[in-house]
Amino acid sequence: MTGIIQMQDIFLSVAVIIVIASFVSLYRGIEGPGIFNRIIAVNVIGTKTIVLLVLIGFIYERPDFFDIALVYAILNFIMTIAATRY
Amino acid sequence: MFDSIINIIVVLLLLIGLFFMLAGTIGFVRFPDFYSRMHATGKCDTLGEGLMLFALIIYETGYEGLFKGDLQHASFVSIKIILLILFILLANPTSTHAIAKAAHDVGLQPWKKTDETEWIYDQDLGTDEVINGGETK
Repeated sequence: MTGIIQMQDIFLSVAVIIVIASFVSLYRGIEGPGIFNRIIAVNVIGTKTIVLLVLIGFIYERPDFFDIALVYAILNFIMTIAATRY
Repeated sequence: MFDSIINIIVVLLLLIGLFFMLAGTIGFVRFPDFYSRMHATGKCDTLGEGLMLFALIIYETGYEGLFKGDLQHASFVSIKIILLILFILLANPTSTHAIAKAAHDVGLQPWKKTDETEWIYDQDLGTDEVINGGETK
């Protein structure tokens, strides 16, 4: 039977894969031509970080991380709008 | 029995969400143009993130709430994650649209498959020319 430790191992492996994917998309942020590719790279990495924060909150069983994820989502949205508007 | 069914559903939703997120990342790295990269990331990230957070809601409600009996704490956490999903479904298409509109207003041309020089033209159009495209310094 699956227990709680096994589910947390699954969450941990999913979090590691998300970190690897965000490093792969960091390549486009460094290398990509123009400033708009860098803006999308920041947006994508921020989107992955939100899921990563929620997963960390489930791995260590600390519900504080969900508030941090909400604030991070709002900051990411405001930063993208400000960078594209002005 | 109930426990293992919930775990199977949660793992399936997590894997589907992870597949969409990895597909978005591969498309973001390998597509040739700015607009097609935005096409890859804008949908795949929203869908993958929604599915993964939905899987975590099912895990929290089913495991912590119904199995352990701590329903109040579980619903508190679930409402927070539902708010997070709603905010992402509102904000992520909005930011994608804002970035695409800003690029279109500045004058970034879409990539066409007809000619090889178009690709080189788009690649060589660096930061300065793209940003100062239609404006005076």
